[in-house]
Amino acid sequence: MAEKKHMGAKAKSRLSNTIIYIILVVMTIVWLIPFIFLVLESFRLETTHQVGYVIPKQWGFDNYIKLFTKTDFPIWFGNTFIIGLVVAIVQTIIVLSMSYTLSRLRFKGRKAMMNVMLVLGFFPGFLSMILLYKVLSWVGLTGSNSVPGLILVYVASSGMGYYVSKGFFDTISRSLDEAARIDGATRFQIFTKIIMPLSKPIVIYTILTAFMAPWGDFMFAKYIAHAASDGMNVAVGLQNMIGTQASLAANYTMFCAGGVIVAIPITILFMSLQKYYVEGVTGGAVKG
Amino acid sequence: MSKVKLTDVKKIYNGGVVAVHDFNLDIADKEFVVFVGPSGCGKSTTLRMIAGLEEISEGTIEIDGLVVNDLQPKDRDISMVFQNYALYPHMTVFENIAFPLRLRKTPNEEVFQKVKEVAEILGITEYLNRKPRALSGGQRQRVAIGRAMVRNPKVFLMDEPLSNLDAKLRNQMRAEIILLRKRIDTTFVYVTHDQTEAMTLGDRIVIMKDGYIKQVGTPDEVFDWPHNLFVAEFIGAPKMNTFKADLVREGDDYYVKAFGAKILVDGQKGDMLKEKHVENREVILGVRPEHVVLAKQGEGIDVTIQVNEMMGSELHLHTITTDGTQIIVRVPTVSLSHEERAKLTNGEMIRISFEGKVMHLFDPESENNILI
Repeated sequence: MAEKKHMGAKAKSRLSNTIIYIILVVMTIVWLIPFIFLVLESFRLETTHQVGYVIPKQWGFDNYIKLFTKTDFPIWFGNTFIIGLVVAIVQTIIVLSMSYTLSRLRFKGRKAMMNVMLVLGFFPGFLSMILLYKVLSWVGLTGSNSVPGLILVYVASSGMGYYVSKGFFDTISRSLDEAARIDGATRFQIFTKIIMPLSKPIVIYTILTAFMAPWGDFMFAKYIAHAASDGMNVAVGLQNMIGTQASLAANYTMFCAGGVIVAIPITILFMSLQKYYVEGVTGGAVKG
Repeated sequence: MSKVKLTDVKKIYNGGVVAVHDFNLDIADKEFVVFVGPSGCGKSTTLRMIAGLEEISEGTIEIDGLVVNDLQPKDRDISMVFQNYALYPHMTVFENIAFPLRLRKTPNEEVFQKVKEVAEILGITEYLNRKPRALSGGQRQRVAIGRAMVRNPKVFLMDEPLSNLDAKLRNQMRAEIILLRKRIDTTFVYVTHDQTEAMTLGDRIVIMKDGYIKQVGTPDEVFDWPHNLFVAEFIGAPKMNTFKADLVREGDDYYVKAFGAKILVDGQKGDMLKEKHVENREVILGVRPEHVVLAKQGEGIDVTIQVNEMMGSELHLHTITTDGTQIIVRVPTVSLSHEERAKLTNGEMIRISFEGKVMHLFDPESENNILI
């Protein structure tokens, strides 16, 4: 009798697992279709514009070769990569030290500051776009010089992204800090030797989000680079390539090749860090 | 030499809450002092001020004659064991213990040597390569003690180190701390809310309440001569019975009258009352449960047994007098005959009296011991 019941529970869980997996597989396919489509387009050689069928009739790497030899794509890619890298490093340092400070130190105006930053964060960043453009153009960081300009814009408000990582730090017992202080560690040593190793997921999460935002940004980058091709990032450059009906028809498959290449670094980054990334999102969310 | 001296130490939190009032204490070299009291009495705050984790609002703390008020914890040459162990989860046991040495840039060989030595004393050698999460509560606390021991601090601070352990392990670790103390032979300041820990570990006990020191003394002193009602009730388990009574003088003898009975105050306490020429007065009488004795028929006080707890070697009887006062009685079972034991059941009426030599007399107003 008991055994029968046991079997019943087992069968039930197997059934629910099957259903879950079917749903997951369907979702994966739905999500993958556009990307597969993009990849297929990028290898199409018979034409450069959009066609009514999916599988290419002629395959080859010509679109990729053209992209790297006939356009400014290498420059855009380099620009984006430099911006992403610098922002990822600087922003991570700022966000993590800001969050640790807000989590551990008690000083006047701490609560008020946190609230103000939280509320300010609700406003979309592009509200300040015109003003930022003015400021950047005064100091000559627009057009061809937009890489440092964009880095400044992306990094400037980093501190406001303290919320998730502060929530994570709050879950680390303060007695660890105290024990380390008594053991002889300075604040900086506590941060680097105790808190950072315990916060791997949130560090990875912060690096990823800091890299992703500029990597995919279009609005600010477009506005600040304006028409200077050597100041564009990939998103702006690629969009520029298909800006008119005529250029769309001429460059569509090459545009798709650009899209595939843009996705590669992000995919590599995610696949190598996904284990920590998932932990980071949920770990910080407990108290976030 | 590692003396600790606290002079008029005060802790006022933002918002004006005073956690510790004018704390004065001299802790001798190699002394084991226990701060004990209910939660919120300021014992942990005081310890944390000695550690340097909490700012001192007023007064001074000296370690070896040096005022440490403005020194960082790392510059005070103290170490501390926390209630929740506070082990670094990402480091192995070895690295946890080695951490204070590594921060001091101790040469590798010496680190290895010292950690090994400490691990052997604490019996954790086989766990050195494990992470803290793979250890039991008792083992973790040993690692925490090891980390505190490894750099031979002047003062060893312990903040409720056994509170997270289960009862059996707590008893075992308590005994180990006594042995450890003999071995490392330094000054200890130990915080606990458990009076048994305080009594068994401390050379001296500091009993605190609401930020004030209520009494400082050896375990014997605080047990036999509590300065006030709070200390009397806090130390000893089950807690002391206390109730209003009349102290009357008849010739050279003093008696307490309570529940219709008249009991002679004899021994040293009787002599002291005589010397002080105490007049007839109202008192609060304190009698420990083990000093309540079963009386013969026709003597003593009538009480009814409400609850009887068999503790093995003794019985705890929760009794009630005819006017509703509760009195707890401890009866050693070894001296009871079978018939006597059978009578001590719930609902039975028994007669009790008090040992006159060991009664405690307190002033009803000030709650202070009238003999001190």
